[in-house]
Amino acid sequence: MYISPRNELSEFRRRYRWMRLFVFLTFLIFVSRLVYLQLVHGDEYHEKSMNNVIRTVSLPAVRGRIFDSKGRVMATSMPSHTLVAIPHYVDMGEGFARLVELLGLDEQEAEAIAAKLNDYRKDSKDMRRFQQIALLESMAPEQLAAVKAHQDELAGIDVVDEPRRYYPYGEVASHVIGYMNEVNGDDIVHANDNEDIADKYRAGDLIGRKGIERSFEAELRGIRGWRKKVVDARGLPLSREKVEGLLPDASMQEPSPGYDITLTIDVALQKLTRQALSGHPSSSAVIMNIHDGSILAAVSRPSIDSNKMTNGLTYAEHETINENPYRPRIDKTVYENYFPGSVFKPFTAFAALEEGIVTPEDVFNCSGFHEFGGRIFKCTHSHGDMTMYDALVQSCNVYFYNLAEMTGMDRIARYAGEFGFGQKTGVGYNTEATGHIPTREWYDKNFPGQFRIGHTLNASIGQGNTKVTLMQVAAAYSALANGGTLYQPQVVKSIETPDGEVVKEFQPIIKRRVTVSKHSMDLVMEALAGVVEDEEGTAHSAYNESVSIAGKTGTAQVVKQSRKKGDTMADFYYRNRDHAWFASVAPIENPEIAIVVLVEHGGAGGEHAAPVGVEIARRYFDEIAPRHEAPLLADSPDNNQTDVRVPVEDSAPTTASAHKR
Amino acid sequence: MAGSLVYRKRDEFDWILFGVVFLISTVGILNLYSTGTASGSPELYLTQLYWVVLGGIGSFIVAIIDYKHYERYGYLAYGGGVLLLILVLMFGKEVGGSVRWFAIGEFRFQPSELMKVLLVVGLAKYLHHDPKAEGRKLEDMFIPALMTGLAMVLILKEPDLGTALLCLLVFLSIMMLTRLTVRSTITLLLTTPIVAILGWSYLLKDYQKQRVVSFWNLFVDPEADKLGAGWHANQSMIAIGSGQVTGKGYLQGTAGPHHFLPECRTDFPFSVFAEEQGFLGAAGLVLLYLFLVMWCIRIAAQSRDRFGSVIAVGIGSIFFWHVVINLGMVMGVMPVVGITLPLFSYGGSSVLTFMLGIGLLMNVSIHRFRRNYSA
Repeated sequence: MYISPRNELSEFRRRYRWMRLFVFLTFLIFVSRLVYLQLVHGDEYHEKSMNNVIRTVSLPAVRGRIFDSKGRVMATSMPSHTLVAIPHYVDMGEGFARLVELLGLDEQEAEAIAAKLNDYRKDSKDMRRFQQIALLESMAPEQLAAVKAHQDELAGIDVVDEPRRYYPYGEVASHVIGYMNEVNGDDIVHANDNEDIADKYRAGDLIGRKGIERSFEAELRGIRGWRKKVVDARGLPLSREKVEGLLPDASMQEPSPGYDITLTIDVALQKLTRQALSGHPSSSAVIMNIHDGSILAAVSRPSIDSNKMTNGLTYAEHETINENPYRPRIDKTVYENYFPGSVFKPFTAFAALEEGIVTPEDVFNCSGFHEFGGRIFKCTHSHGDMTMYDALVQSCNVYFYNLAEMTGMDRIARYAGEFGFGQKTGVGYNTEATGHIPTREWYDKNFPGQFRIGHTLNASIGQGNTKVTLMQVAAAYSALANGGTLYQPQVVKSIETPDGEVVKEFQPIIKRRVTVSKHSMDLVMEALAGVVEDEEGTAHSAYNESVSIAGKTGTAQVVKQSRKKGDTMADFYYRNRDHAWFASVAPIENPEIAIVVLVEHGGAGGEHAAPVGVEIARRYFDEIAPRHEAPLLADSPDNNQTDVRVPVEDSAPTTASAHKR
Repeated sequence: MAGSLVYRKRDEFDWILFGVVFLISTVGILNLYSTGTASGSPELYLTQLYWVVLGGIGSFIVAIIDYKHYERYGYLAYGGGVLLLILVLMFGKEVGGSVRWFAIGEFRFQPSELMKVLLVVGLAKYLHHDPKAEGRKLEDMFIPALMTGLAMVLILKEPDLGTALLCLLVFLSIMMLTRLTVRSTITLLLTTPIVAILGWSYLLKDYQKQRVVSFWNLFVDPEADKLGAGWHANQSMIAIGSGQVTGKGYLQGTAGPHHFLPECRTDFPFSVFAEEQGFLGAAGLVLLYLFLVMWCIRIAAQSRDRFGSVIAVGIGSIFFWHVVINLGMVMGVMPVVGITLPLFSYGGSSVLTFMLGIGLLMNVSIHRFRRNYSA
């Protein structure tokens, strides 16, 4: 049979099997690849694909509120809306123009926002372009409405609700309350290292910086929640029906709000204390319940509105604050060390009395100065013959020089230490200074061979190397007035859930019972009453017969300064004037509160600090806790501290006048 | 008498070929519907349906006319293709920096797609008349190489790297069918790398090189360049991998409906399919394509003459290489070049071309018993 050459298929015939093999092997590669992608690594890719479409939006937790002891709101969170963007997904052309239009921004504002976005977008390798950044804080209601309504035109743009901190009383208790600002790198690192902090901080979060906001950050903060939402590659949210099945079962975690905190501070008292101090630009005061150590008011002037600090200061404001010579940032009640001056004398007296070195009746003559070791130690003037009562009432230094000479530095230090001097009080907010009570050992260590008895003389009147804080003085005078129980000062009464359920109730903490006899304490209390009531008393000029108050004045020398360039004469005199102290308890019978006042560069304590203390006491009894009515603090229904202080009440000092000579 | 003993085989419609093509096209249209649901152009699948039906009718017409007539006009067909390529360079519509299309109203026609089939017809005609039972030397391949080269140069001018590459692969596949001498094979193997290097240096555009480089980088460090040129490959692999065994379900994928694969309708429909249907669906589709290509080889082997064999192998190779390059791209084993997945990708020219090819295959299959002694 003839076969046409065109039908000559033998050339092809043996090629087909190789073709089939080649084709088969090639397809085998694809099937293997599918096995690899879908079966072997399917889980990984599935997760990646979920991350593609599911964006987790964090829901901020509502920070706990801070109340004063009467339930007044001192810090709360107000709703606020922040415009955020993921720069990568923002359409910088039409989309951005639409955004500017919807927000009603002027050219300058629009440019600033565009610049911020472009900064994140400029480098395509920079993964920050996928980070959510804030574009506009505290959006106006109409801006919020416009953006919400046109969300589908604004790729990559979103609004988050971020509660803003608000302090209704502004600067009234700003040193105690503190303020908040944005976390920094250290905060984030610290939080990451700390296993107790489950909800890690992220850039842009606020954190308590000072005061209670800082100390109780963990309690106040709450735990943020999250919501997962499905978006497409452009960051536009997709409707429910389109995303069915894509979202994991748990698509939302409600945030849990932080705990509320109730302070022992009474805003009304805090306010009137500030008013009493208003004539003194740089001054401070602490008012403490002597029966449990709770702080009723703690004022440090000047102060800065917590709202301002939290919302951010302008550069100019920042500069003004830093240049303010009265140091508004510093909480003078706990952070600042002062010479106590004569406020310290009761504790020198205790050392001498308890060690049996003098009796109250022993008399020393004051001729206006005391000569020791070739040096002259001055008194204010010549007081003549002084008993202990006289010496305390009239604040005679010479009497105490004599006492100190006989008692010695270490004994004074021991009694001062019993009353909490030289140790942090543990009040629990803001940075606390330790103060300092010098001892022989301390001198030997730090100034070998230089110790002189003269140092003891200075120490005895609260000068030299003796340093205290207001908080220490308040705690010590409370102990002195309550029969010898030294409490740890506390400013927080309780922690509650937002619904008001008490999580933790702070009980009084007794640091120790001092070993000073009731007799000695009664004697000193009697003398403190005399300071105000006696005509000879250093605070008698502040005496108000309607106010029952016993206290000790102090005039703490300041380090003399030469006149600086640019100082006015007034500045120069101001800075060289002594600090004025008044440490007191009131009322004299059954004392309730300790009031400690310090006026920086005020001059003599009796003239400049005592009137403030007396004024505070007067208004306290008029406005806060009127006499012969309900006892202090007992008016709040959940208060059980009256019970707690029972053990110390039976040892409370009795009438001081019985011991008057 | 003899006539009563010899069973004379009749023309037979190739139901199996029809079935495979019907299956792939149907699944492809359904898949396109899924990619369009969230994209704002859900009617695209309908357009595709029209093209498939139109192409199907066309292929039926192509199939029933005995292919000896096509053989007669083989060079004319090839020449017509070349003419279209020249015309498109002169009068074509520029889209995205390349001139590939004739725009006739709404309809855009891409001659280079058609050229692939016409090249096969031209090569078939040449080889039909040039049997070399003793083995083929390189110079015997000069004319076919020239025919292919001319088409490639014109297509590269547009430029359309993918289609040019396909012409080369189709040519090589048809050459595989012929029996090259050992010497010629060695020479070919040695010269290929040199041609490849020259091609890289002078023929490839920068953006094409960029794609190859990005693909290579993806091999070296899959995490790198996720957002740049590697975005497509990376997103495609995520889509496929995330389908796992059974897939996310029809219309439930993320790649298509959520825009993670911007060119999912033309270049990445397989990724969408694999994400929604999982390994079972994806492997099933791959096996369908395997079956289709194997069937082409079977048709070639059973063909009544050389023309039919070359046509079947040529068309089969078009399908094969389209599938290989597209799947290789979407599965991240080959660079990203815009080559469609036959009958699965959206596109009128593409569908018509493949349907034309199917028509030719069907023709060869139907007429395999009709021996032509007279020629």
